[in-house]
Amino acid sequence: MTLIMVVDDDQDLAEMLGIVLNSSGFEVDLINRGDEVMDLFRAQTPDLVLLDVMLPGMTGIEVCREIRKESMVPIVMLTAKGDTHDVVLGLEAGADDYMIKPFNNSELVARIKTRLRRVISENAGGLKIGDIAIDQLAHSITRDGRVIPLTRLEFDLLVALAKEPGRVFTREALLGEVWGYRHATDTRLVNVHIQRLRSKVEQDPENPELIVTVRGVGYKAGAPGSKEIGN
Amino acid sequence: MTRAPRPWRSSLVWRVTGNSVLLSLGIIWLVGSALFSQISTGIFSEKLDNALSDSASSLRSIEVQLAVAQFQNDAAVKKMVDQIIFVASIGGKTAGREVALLHFPTVKPVKNSFERTSNLLSSKSVPNDLRSRVRTHTGVQWSKTQIRYLGGKVVNAIAVGSMVEIPRSGNYEIYFLYDLVSQQNTLNLIRTALWFTGIALIFLIGLVTWLVIRQVVIPVREAAEIAEQLSSGDLGRRMEVHGENEIARLATSFNEMALSMQQQISRLENLSRLQQRFVSDVSHELRTPLTTIRMASEVIFTSKETFSHKVARSAELLIAQIDRFERLLGDLLEVSRFDAEAAVMQVEPMDIVGVLVRTVDYLHPSKDLIINIHAPSEPIYVDADSRRVERIFRNLITNAIDHCEERNIDITVVESDDAVAVGVRDYGVGFQEKDASRLFDRFWRADPARARIRGGTGLGLSIALEDAKLHHGTLEAWGRLRRGAHFVLTLPKVAGMELISHPINLIPENELSTITGIVDDEEL
Repeated sequence: MTLIMVVDDDQDLAEMLGIVLNSSGFEVDLINRGDEVMDLFRAQTPDLVLLDVMLPGMTGIEVCREIRKESMVPIVMLTAKGDTHDVVLGLEAGADDYMIKPFNNSELVARIKTRLRRVISENAGGLKIGDIAIDQLAHSITRDGRVIPLTRLEFDLLVALAKEPGRVFTREALLGEVWGYRHATDTRLVNVHIQRLRSKVEQDPENPELIVTVRGVGYKAGAPGSKEIGN
Repeated sequence: MTRAPRPWRSSLVWRVTGNSVLLSLGIIWLVGSALFSQISTGIFSEKLDNALSDSASSLRSIEVQLAVAQFQNDAAVKKMVDQIIFVASIGGKTAGREVALLHFPTVKPVKNSFERTSNLLSSKSVPNDLRSRVRTHTGVQWSKTQIRYLGGKVVNAIAVGSMVEIPRSGNYEIYFLYDLVSQQNTLNLIRTALWFTGIALIFLIGLVTWLVIRQVVIPVREAAEIAEQLSSGDLGRRMEVHGENEIARLATSFNEMALSMQQQISRLENLSRLQQRFVSDVSHELRTPLTTIRMASEVIFTSKETFSHKVARSAELLIAQIDRFERLLGDLLEVSRFDAEAAVMQVEPMDIVGVLVRTVDYLHPSKDLIINIHAPSEPIYVDADSRRVERIFRNLITNAIDHCEERNIDITVVESDDAVAVGVRDYGVGFQEKDASRLFDRFWRADPARARIRGGTGLGLSIALEDAKLHHGTLEAWGRLRRGAHFVLTLPKVAGMELISHPINLIPENELSTITGIVDDEEL
């Protein structure tokens, strides 16, 4: 069974989340305090964490940061505020996705499933982007034989770009491909995660060569050594 | 017209100092000239008095000598004349007196002329005008002249002349010439002194004015600088108060003004912070229970088949109203964010056409309704907040769908060098011309009696207008009852730049002719 850890100080909402997720076939751990998360997290090793921003004991942002120190587990923030500031803070702390309250059940379940799925494309073998080798089966990437740890979302993002080298992905296309959004244009998600991914895989994140920005359009996989990609 | 140099215009000190220097220059010039001319007239008339009395006494003694003497021959006369001239010119240069004895001009040459002058004086030193006066008038005559020595030296002088008869020779004119050298020297001295005094006075007046005006202007300048700092946001600045004069009063009331301004502003800031805080708290506090309600209602809704018809329908209504409540809450929060001026822009390059097409796809309610998009096939990139632009589109298109009465909707996209415009035209119920400005008011409805149409919250257009304004764009509406409406959004290609052009005309082309007709009707 897939275990989802739900952290929310509102007991009724937490229980409701439990009911909905249970009926979608997930196992659920409910926690009401931010400072209790880490102990249980280490004990249970959940497959995904649903994390409210406002928590007693320790804020969701801090909890998120703590989890990221030890795990690449998918984290979805639950926020009551759509304000840029909170959302960006959460994403920068390491959250993969966020949901603004109120959300509907099917959307929540769909997002969680997207975060849990393992994308394996037809040519499941060796994808390459620049000097980075992507092993989709092992779900890992290596440069010169050394493994670079990525969150699942970052891995999906890199795979999406690497699968079609040369194609320019709009931010909206990436939102659909990686996050499973259909009509959202919240491109902050894409921007923040591209930055995080670059800081892990680029030799010089200030002058990215693997993930190139196409001004006004989006991003594409680049070939190191040449800024121009011939199609 | 040439403008005065900058310090003159911008500095009160320089202007006042300059003006007082110019004014005192004029006054000192006038006073100095008057003084100088009075002094020189006085000196001259004193010298003239001296000259006249001196020449009168000399003349008398000469006349006596000539009358008393008995001349046997010309030589005796010559000797006498020589003696007279000698005596008269004794110490000529030191006494400042010269003598000239000149013969009456005659036709035939004088056989025995006793013309004499002292100290190699040129006979031209005596002006002809004076000479003719001496010859025609009895008594003493005088005139200003210049003594010309034969060596070429010229000295200003007074000439006093009279007729004198020399025995055995005839009528002569005798002239005493008094030079004005010492008077000229005195006058020169006085003139130099006046110049010096004048220049010194002007300099001192300038200096004094500068010092005095500075005392007044420095506090004023300080006040101006502090006022500038206050207006640029440094509300803690105050003027220093010295003493109890007018400047001190200015400083005191200035400081009071600044203090009350600071208190007022901080009160408002506090209020605004409280408001934002409240909005954010309401957001959180309302949304959490709303989320639970929503999730619960969906769980109920998904198993509605097991309920009776009434309960199932209730579950449907519940879901729909929760949707509406949620939209209303979202819009209210957005509006209060605008009110608190807490709306943040996330500007990035975006494709207007792409966002428009996606929004239409998303909103397109039924296959019966045709929404035509007239847009260039190429993407149009602008620097804007895509979330807000999409929301504007959503609000405009939702509004059009709600009011189109199942007729087509035309959406036009036109770009110019600096702007891109999107026009949303429907041919439905429309609105009265007078309502065009109130359309964007919150919760405004053209016909309050009309049933609420499903989609809107009553805040959509108001939010769309605020979103457009945030980009420094415009959102305008045109409409006529039963002929539809036309909403035109014009955005600068770079958010925040001023709009120069409006690529889409607000009044639809096929309505231009009818417009004039309506205006005529109203004027009748």
